[in-house]
Amino acid sequence: MTATGLRAMLGVQWRTHRRGTLVWVLALIAMMVGTAGSIAGLYNTPEKIHTYAQAATTGEALVAVNGRVEGIDSLGGIIADEFGFLAAFLLPLLGISLVALMTRSEEEAGRLEAVLAGRVARHVPVLAGLTIASAAIAVTTVAFALGLTAFGVPATRSVLYAASLGALALVFAGLAALLAQVTLHSRGVYTWGLLILAAAYVLRGVGDVTRTWVTWLSPLGWAEKAAPFGDMRWWTLLIPLAVAGLFAALAVLVAGRRDLGSALVGGGPGPARATSWLRSPLGLATAIHRFSILAWLAGAVILAGTMGSLAQQFIDAVLGNPAMAAAFGVSGAQPVDEMVALTQLYIAIIATGFAVQAVGSLRGEETAGRLEMQLSGRLSRLRWLAAHGLVIVTGVVIIVLVSSVVLAAGMAWSMGTPVDFGRVLWAGAAYLPAELLVGGLALALFGLRPRAFPAAWAALAGVTFIAFLGPGLKLPNWLLDLAPTTHIGNPPLGTVEAGQLVVLGAIAVALGVAGAVGFRRRGVPQS
Amino acid sequence: MTASQPVIRAQGLTKTFGSVRALDGLDLEVAPGEVHGFLGPNGAGKSTTIRIVLGLIRASGGHVELFGGDPWRQAATLHERLAYVAGDVSLWPGLTGGQCLDVLGATHGGLDEARRTALIERFDLDPTKRIRDYSKGNRQKVALIAALAADAELLVLDEPTSGLDPLMEQAFQEVVRERRKDGCTVLLSSHILGEVEALADRVTIIRRGRTVTTGTLAELRRHTRTHVHAVTVDEPAGLADATGVADYVSARLDGHADSRFTIDAEHLDDVVGTLHTARIHTLTVTPPSLDALFLRSYGGDAGPLDASELGEPLEAAR
Repeated sequence: MTATGLRAMLGVQWRTHRRGTLVWVLALIAMMVGTAGSIAGLYNTPEKIHTYAQAATTGEALVAVNGRVEGIDSLGGIIADEFGFLAAFLLPLLGISLVALMTRSEEEAGRLEAVLAGRVARHVPVLAGLTIASAAIAVTTVAFALGLTAFGVPATRSVLYAASLGALALVFAGLAALLAQVTLHSRGVYTWGLLILAAAYVLRGVGDVTRTWVTWLSPLGWAEKAAPFGDMRWWTLLIPLAVAGLFAALAVLVAGRRDLGSALVGGGPGPARATSWLRSPLGLATAIHRFSILAWLAGAVILAGTMGSLAQQFIDAVLGNPAMAAAFGVSGAQPVDEMVALTQLYIAIIATGFAVQAVGSLRGEETAGRLEMQLSGRLSRLRWLAAHGLVIVTGVVIIVLVSSVVLAAGMAWSMGTPVDFGRVLWAGAAYLPAELLVGGLALALFGLRPRAFPAAWAALAGVTFIAFLGPGLKLPNWLLDLAPTTHIGNPPLGTVEAGQLVVLGAIAVALGVAGAVGFRRRGVPQS
Repeated sequence: MTASQPVIRAQGLTKTFGSVRALDGLDLEVAPGEVHGFLGPNGAGKSTTIRIVLGLIRASGGHVELFGGDPWRQAATLHERLAYVAGDVSLWPGLTGGQCLDVLGATHGGLDEARRTALIERFDLDPTKRIRDYSKGNRQKVALIAALAADAELLVLDEPTSGLDPLMEQAFQEVVRERRKDGCTVLLSSHILGEVEALADRVTIIRRGRTVTTGTLAELRRHTRTHVHAVTVDEPAGLADATGVADYVSARLDGHADSRFTIDAEHLDDVVGTLHTARIHTLTVTPPSLDALFLRSYGGDAGPLDASELGEPLEAAR
């Protein structure tokens, strides 16, 4: 097979995807190197490192979550342990998303057809996508190795650790390229890629806890078994590289042989009629937001469940290790309340993220032209907006309450003592006005300045930054006060002032009303 | 609303988007029971006009009435009586075609069940397939069936047949004719001349946000000229100066008189009489071409055309 048109294809792919690729790579490097730096600052003596290593290996739950890090009694070991969870998802996701964007998404949109009509061989788009994704992964790997070395981790160990993570990302890039050939839509590439990743995560966890060969079945296990801070098994890098190469070769082979727009797995038939529920504005709004409610809820439940079931380990670690408490940003006086307060803040950010994304999907309905079709019927604009508003608010409440219940249940299971469910639930519910305020801001943008909607995402990023890192970085009060979450009062640890909640709620309602009035007065669609 | 009151009346509509003037004094009148063709080149303002008529966007100036009411203020009430197919059909990718039909139908207040079933059959649509697995043409069919099966007094169709194959195009024309027989009014924006000729009672042609011309097809034809090419044994006498004749060119070829000219419709009879006297050898009469009329309306300079301008010979105008 000759790669006719590879150069041209690389140019096209890079031009159309360079912005997204750069944002991905830079954000990932900044996050990894930044976290490594703050860990290096916190664990600056052998004693502190030793205490961490002891705390992290006392319970099997943390091993299941972060993996069994060989040589955890070192700075690099702590970084690998802290990264265990995030790296296991972010690096595979980097590989999956870059390849999905450059292969099946392009084909689905019909752009590939125009390209293949020119002097470009059928298998070349996949090859080009893989090349760019691999280059992005290589850059991330090199930057991470350099960052670790700069913070005092031995250079060879840094290189092996970064390379093991890079190889992990390559496996999933290759897998995504193959999935892009067998599924018909990019959504299928993501769904199957993430399912396989979840299975790999579970296999690695089971293998690590039972100390058996099961770990070797998982790509995450291969990265772990490289043991960069233990025995340094360089040869284990060959496994992910070989598997990634095999996936990539198969993908290129299938791409060269199959028809454009075809797939091995097609979509099945569905119901021929809509239920009367789906025909109602509320039912359609539910159908539109259902998938994202479930996705955000799954994220919040996994977080709440993990934190809840680790409650006992968390308490032990905090009581036995002030440095660890400082790392989590808590003081160690009331460990249970502190863990609940911390988890509820995370859940609040997740629920806020859903609210912004859901209001953004209303803008999506508009730009896709579907809103125009709906408003050409007997449905008034305000009723359409009210139906979506109701579903979105309900989604926020569901995310908060269900994950609060899961958190409390996980705590009860972990600590073996009765937990005050009402207290945990109330702490979650107290954040609702703050969540709805950001949602209201998004709605106001949608109604008044729809083109400026990305500002809602910027607001979410700002609130997230202030909520998570503000207290630790000792930001000035006026900056902390910009985030609505600051005004909630950190329940159940701090006191919640009803007056503050009422003010936040009133601002949320005012923003929502402004959005509704603006939406009623403006043209649809507004491009 | 009286029977003679127009279903849609727009006068002097203007619409600006920032510094862009999308509509610049557009007029449109659609009478009850007619199929009204709405033509114009890309970017002429067809979709903008339709959105103003539907109350989706507000006109910057001018006057617009839908069923005698104000579409911006009474949008939801007035919409009960119409069904709309947007120019760029986009549906929910996760729903099936059948589900989308019912969802769209519900926005029009429910579909006629018998007609829904018949149209699915006629347009050969698989209602159990998901929208994301449909081709463009099939997505178009879903939107069309939803509109055509609705109990509407007015159908607003914005380039409804883009993406349909010729068989489906034919089925579409049949169904529109049936709906018209039921008393339905249709505003049909289109690029396809054959479709407009086959369906429309009256047409409005717009360009750069202004109405160029409006009238029945017969009226428009009357404004164009018939081309005549005659070979006669003798020289036709006085033809060059006859009333209604223009572009007269004559030559001797193989001992015959070869004459080419254009003539307006009302003087054709006189001229043929003159040719007959000169003993006709061959005679070709080319009827007024709508294509030429449209091309001219689309491509010419800005500003409305009046009848006298339309009456000018095409070649002379170029």
